[in-house]
Amino acid sequence: MSKNLLFTSFSGKKLFVLFLFSLFSLTSLFAQESVNINGKITDENGLAMPAVSIKIKGTTQGVSTDANGIYAIKTTIGATLVFQYLSYLPQEIVVSKAGMINVKLVEANTKLDEVVVVGYGTQKKGNVTGAIATFKADKLEERPIVRVDQALVGQMAGVSVKQTSGTPGKAFSIQVRGTGSISAGNEPLYVLDGFPLASASPNGSGNFSTGNPLDNINPNDIESIQVLKDASAAAIYGSRAANGVVLITTKRGKSGKPTITLNTYAGTVERSKKLDMLNGAEWIDRATEMINAQWVASGTGRTASQTTDQRRTILGLAPGAFNTTFMLDDRWAQPGYGGLNVIDWQDEIFRTGLTQNYQLGASGATETVNYYVSGNYVKQEGMVKGMDYESYSARANVEIKANDNLKFGVNIAPTYSVTNDPGVEGKDNILHQALSMSPIQQDVAGNVNVFNSTQYIWGVSTNDPLAKLNNTIGLTKKFRTLGTVFGEYKILDGLTFKTTVNLDNTDNTSKSYTPYTITGSLTTRTTSPNLGTAGSYGGYRKRTFVNENTLSYVKTFKDKHDLSLLVGQAYNSDKIENVNLSSVGGFGVGGITTLGSASAVNGSTNEAMNVLISYFGRVQYNFDQKYLFSASIRRDGSSRFGTNNQYGIFPSVSAGWNIAKESFLKDSKKISELKLRVSYGESGNYNIGDYSSRALLGSNNYTFNGVPAYGQALIGVANPNLSWEKSKTTDIGLDIGLFQNRITASVDYYNKLNTDLLLNVPIPGVTGFGTQLSNTGSVRNKGLEFEVSTRNLTGDFQWNTSVNVSHNSNEVVSLASGQSQILIPSSFDVSHSLLRVGEPMYSIYVVRQEGILTQQDINNKVALFGSQTVGDPKYKDANGDGVIDANDREIVGHPNPDWTYGVTNTFRYKGFDLTVLVQGQTGGSIYSLLGRALGRTGQGVPDNALGFYRDRWRSPDSPGAGEVGKAYSTFGRIKNTDWLYSSNYLRVRNITMGYDLGRQFKSKAVKGARIYVTAENFFGTDKYKGGFNPEASNTNLSGSDIFPEAGDYGGLPLPKSLILGLNFTF
Amino acid sequence: MKKLIYILLAGTALITSCKKSLDQQPISNNTTDTYFSAPNDFLQGINAVYNDLRTYPDRLLNLSETRSDNLYAVSEGGVRDWEGINSFFKTIAANPYVEEAWSKDFNGISRANTLLDQLTKNGAAVIPDATLRRRYEAEAKFLRAFYYFDLVRLFGKVPIIDHPVLTDEALNIPRSPVADVYALILSDLQFAADNLPLASAYAVADKGRASKHAAKSLLALVYMTRSGPTYSIEGPGLGLNEWSLAAAQLNEVISSGQYTFLTNTGTATTAYSSIFAYTNENNREVVFNVEFATGSNPQLGATYPWLLVPDGYFQSLGQPNQGGLEIRPVSNNMLASYETGDIRKAFSIQAGYSIPRGVTEVRSFYKKYIDITKVPASRTDWPINFIVLRYTDILLLKAECVLHGAAGSQTTDVDAVVNNVRIRAGLPGNQVNVTLPQLMEERRKEFAAEGSRWHDLVRSGLVTTVMPAWIAADDVRKQIQPFTPNYIIYPVPQSQLDVKTGLYTQNSGY
Repeated sequence: MSKNLLFTSFSGKKLFVLFLFSLFSLTSLFAQESVNINGKITDENGLAMPAVSIKIKGTTQGVSTDANGIYAIKTTIGATLVFQYLSYLPQEIVVSKAGMINVKLVEANTKLDEVVVVGYGTQKKGNVTGAIATFKADKLEERPIVRVDQALVGQMAGVSVKQTSGTPGKAFSIQVRGTGSISAGNEPLYVLDGFPLASASPNGSGNFSTGNPLDNINPNDIESIQVLKDASAAAIYGSRAANGVVLITTKRGKSGKPTITLNTYAGTVERSKKLDMLNGAEWIDRATEMINAQWVASGTGRTASQTTDQRRTILGLAPGAFNTTFMLDDRWAQPGYGGLNVIDWQDEIFRTGLTQNYQLGASGATETVNYYVSGNYVKQEGMVKGMDYESYSARANVEIKANDNLKFGVNIAPTYSVTNDPGVEGKDNILHQALSMSPIQQDVAGNVNVFNSTQYIWGVSTNDPLAKLNNTIGLTKKFRTLGTVFGEYKILDGLTFKTTVNLDNTDNTSKSYTPYTITGSLTTRTTSPNLGTAGSYGGYRKRTFVNENTLSYVKTFKDKHDLSLLVGQAYNSDKIENVNLSSVGGFGVGGITTLGSASAVNGSTNEAMNVLISYFGRVQYNFDQKYLFSASIRRDGSSRFGTNNQYGIFPSVSAGWNIAKESFLKDSKKISELKLRVSYGESGNYNIGDYSSRALLGSNNYTFNGVPAYGQALIGVANPNLSWEKSKTTDIGLDIGLFQNRITASVDYYNKLNTDLLLNVPIPGVTGFGTQLSNTGSVRNKGLEFEVSTRNLTGDFQWNTSVNVSHNSNEVVSLASGQSQILIPSSFDVSHSLLRVGEPMYSIYVVRQEGILTQQDINNKVALFGSQTVGDPKYKDANGDGVIDANDREIVGHPNPDWTYGVTNTFRYKGFDLTVLVQGQTGGSIYSLLGRALGRTGQGVPDNALGFYRDRWRSPDSPGAGEVGKAYSTFGRIKNTDWLYSSNYLRVRNITMGYDLGRQFKSKAVKGARIYVTAENFFGTDKYKGGFNPEASNTNLSGSDIFPEAGDYGGLPLPKSLILGLNFTF
Repeated sequence: MKKLIYILLAGTALITSCKKSLDQQPISNNTTDTYFSAPNDFLQGINAVYNDLRTYPDRLLNLSETRSDNLYAVSEGGVRDWEGINSFFKTIAANPYVEEAWSKDFNGISRANTLLDQLTKNGAAVIPDATLRRRYEAEAKFLRAFYYFDLVRLFGKVPIIDHPVLTDEALNIPRSPVADVYALILSDLQFAADNLPLASAYAVADKGRASKHAAKSLLALVYMTRSGPTYSIEGPGLGLNEWSLAAAQLNEVISSGQYTFLTNTGTATTAYSSIFAYTNENNREVVFNVEFATGSNPQLGATYPWLLVPDGYFQSLGQPNQGGLEIRPVSNNMLASYETGDIRKAFSIQAGYSIPRGVTEVRSFYKKYIDITKVPASRTDWPINFIVLRYTDILLLKAECVLHGAAGSQTTDVDAVVNNVRIRAGLPGNQVNVTLPQLMEERRKEFAAEGSRWHDLVRSGLVTTVMPAWIAADDVRKQIQPFTPNYIIYPVPQSQLDVKTGLYTQNSGY
């Protein structure tokens, strides 16, 4: 192992020597003699580098190295050879004599010269003045990734990527610098190769019901991802940039011989967590206690020791009849439970799924054509039976240089995916039901209250979740085509006109089918077969068309004044068409899953469209790369805005100072980079609905004499002033590079104020409506972001670390005039969250539980909720009025974490590489309605309960753990801290170990090969005892469209996968 | 350079052609700018005003039936929305039922106003038939009065909105005195009575629309309600003596020949149940009803039939759950009020049930509107109409006017009417010199589960004696708060008070 610890040796020295050498050789000879040059190209570690391009400068001649890094080229004395490979620093060497030139290429860690993609162009990273986070795409190939958003987890400060679902293929939720909008969505704008994709926000349940911009985009095609975090970087995208902009660049061909890549992996997927629920014996123990308590409370002279037969006699029931409220199942006490089945429903529905992926790509470039083509197939079985995801995708990026001035190209990516989800996540869906299902059953799993079996009379009436998984169809097929055609014309030197035409078309169909055999009660199944059968067929076509035209001018004056100008204009339209068909009143015929066999069908279609017209411009100037300045402006007109506010203007300005370039630091051995950035910008969020500003009429039908009569009436109050939400961000940042950039770091502070929020403001009901959509209220997000990358060890054994830490605090600054708070409605009991001025958005607002009521408490007349007695939970009388009710709610937490972080460590030794990604968050809370469903006071006997009921209060002498009161409680329930959990987690998201097989292959056909093993989500810890995934969202807890609150009501755990992969380059 | 110019020209052309596209008309919705241009548009505008009636039956059951001595609707654990309605909690200003009443009635009023406004602006140009135009106007005014009358009975003073208002204007319209609101109601109903067709003059397809005599019946009820005691609150009673005005309207309804009192034939006692039969909708008893039908998309069915029915009842009959919650039992006092042999008791009330799983419910509940053979595919899609005004009611209202001194005979207009009602119910028709309390007691049983009880108690002045006596006798759980006359009307919904401080003041007692 190398002892080259940090600070003791600098590989940069070698580079410097090489650089001096090349300078020297440049001045030496100018002969025109033809010579043969050969040599070997290695990386810093002395490993051979295949596929390095060697070109003779000023010509089109070139070769590339073979699998052993060897090259040979014929050239002339005095010619300059250019050695180039991907992210390595290119080197130029002037040929002075025939013979061998060995070159060691160094990875471009001098970040200043890296080029980053910014809106409508690229910029040297050293000249960037905005806050831009960059994701290196080489990480994508080294890991098995199904979705682009999956790759971004834990990678960038200020970019929070939440895996809200465990369903394969489902979109993640991304937030850049906190949440600033209450109802217009917080997802960023995605721009794919310059094509701004239609933005989509999750619905109230946390699902992207009409698709996510990253759906079906093959991560293996991605070259790089840049996130424009502050308004100065993003404001060029105007009214869509308030939530940040994610710029995705796909791969292009590299000059040299065609490269063919084959990436494949296969592995297993399973649950990463099991929820602690009562097992069969524990459920019986609880059921016995509750039924006895109910019996004793039901009349005088009734005691727990009375037998089932005695109780039957007292109740006057016929022999063999049961009253399950008051009578036990005698089999519970028998050995082996008298033949009853003990079922662990979680074990029944989860499985180990298989996953596999194949990607074949070819790329290359000649003088006139640059191409990248790829095809990908992925198939993933979910961790739950019956869940699958399959996707086919292809991409062709072709660029043709017609002549010196004209370039045109086409990117096209057709994709197709199929998802099957029988309806696992969310309230009353299969996972929630499997958890609630009684673990003691008369029938075996898969046959409980389905087909010809009836329900176990002491159990829940739900139909078997396993049978549902096996018999329900929930197919979604998505065919999406992304296409771009562009032309670029160089009018004058430095002046370029570019036009692009982009189309994104998605055709999505969903089919569902539930046979009656797994619904309802046995009676209904027997007496009315097919009545319970339900089917639906729906879909949407979503189309985004964008035409953008830009004129750019780039010029350097007197070597020191770099000027770059851009003006442009864009037309953007989104159109969506929906169709929904569903069966009514069951099916007429069994066994057929299409709607032709339905008894009747309801159908509807819907269409909507919006248009955005934009003009924009930007000026970037730097003096000697020391003093940097940039300003941009955009004017957006949208059909969504009210007629009084059709256009918005979004300016930004930023400046930077490359202190390291100043004379006093220029020669510093320690400080290689030091840049101060300051920016201010305004952007908008235009996700306000296509026709929200208008006086729309909707169907409000009536019936006369049994026949429908169509009715049309206003469905809202028109607001011609309606406009975009405004966002103003100030950002101060510092980029530091130390010791030849062995340590690089960035710190950013931001203050983002979102104003004119789109809120449904209460208005007098006499208008006919309770609320009106208006621009009012404001939210501030303040934060600190910190990123550092270090190369701890170099040499044979390399160790790199990159750390990102973000802090964000979020505060409601104002609501509609005169409003100090809005209680978020709840479909389940009183509100449990609110928007209150001065507090974080969606603060959790419930009654505090503080222990269990003792007789002494009762004697002391502590405040009670309803008819509470000893052994029930004790709640805090926050307002001191002597009773517990909804007025005792307090703010007890907020949903967004205060801190999020990600740490990646990479180790390389010889041909081995090892990457470990650890990611986590602290400071947030979850108010879990799933936890409430599985462990509420007053819960019935049949439902299974969370494991903490094991240590419940049983008697004054056996008070349990002090968390949970007695099983039999009759006082009802109130929203309280019982179901409040910390959302803190720490998770080893990924461990990848790879080996460079190229060392073993001596084949000429194979240029490179790597084998790897990846473990995703293998280790981790969280505090969420009432559910699987602290970030899950699948149900609209508010039940309101006006103030949607997506939360967890039965979300899957994160998938844990073990995968073996191979990467080949030919 | 030439090329550049072409490019720029092309770009400019594109931009100018695009500008128009910023004006995107909604594809799947109409707007008021484009609608109301054909006669049928106005018809659909009117239909949408009727649409707001669809929640009226549920509201009557929640806010009239549940508040009265007919139900003992205190719930376990205090988690039900009706908690506090029956128990006279002071804190029900944010109660969803109270909120719904205000918002839905005003929604109906705003739809009527939009329609009336469009009729004024475009009606003459679009609808050539003046009679039809007047009918539309009369229907809109009937419904506006209907919604306002509901508001006055529930809340007392309310803002008067007689034209479409936007937010800014609405923020400056305070609540008006009850008398002023009644003035609008009376003038609307008068116009409706003068211009609506007879029920029999409507085409079959229009059965269920407001008719001349529906307007007159409602007008009579308004006069009677104004004539009720004031209780020294700003409620629906103004203490006016308008019983004769009411009787005059009722007499016209009675003499119109449009309606019939359904009677038993032979020894059968099915006349009462036939009024509510699924197969006998729009029968001769019906003066005005809220119409429901099943199987439409969007649904046009009802929820009120099962609103007061616990789910276990459906389970016990092998039917799917309907979404009914905890039981709202019929009060012991109500159960005891029925004489032996009263067929209305068994028809209106179900005495418990037991389901195969073993649960037995012994308390009684209303099941008047359930026909177990007609359970719809969706629980929110029951097909049965809700009768708002029926001919028996007209006759009994007339009797009430007579007992209050309006012209008429104790024998023929009071006793005979009550006896006919009793005979139909399977009881002896032996009542003489029926008093007002006796009449109200008969109404209680006749209109059980029809949402009439609370309003009857308020109008007759009995509420202040009946309710305290009932609470003392029936409230075994001691959950009902002491009754005061302030509770005759409901609080102004909290959401409305919160919109603008000081715009409305809360009703006394809340």
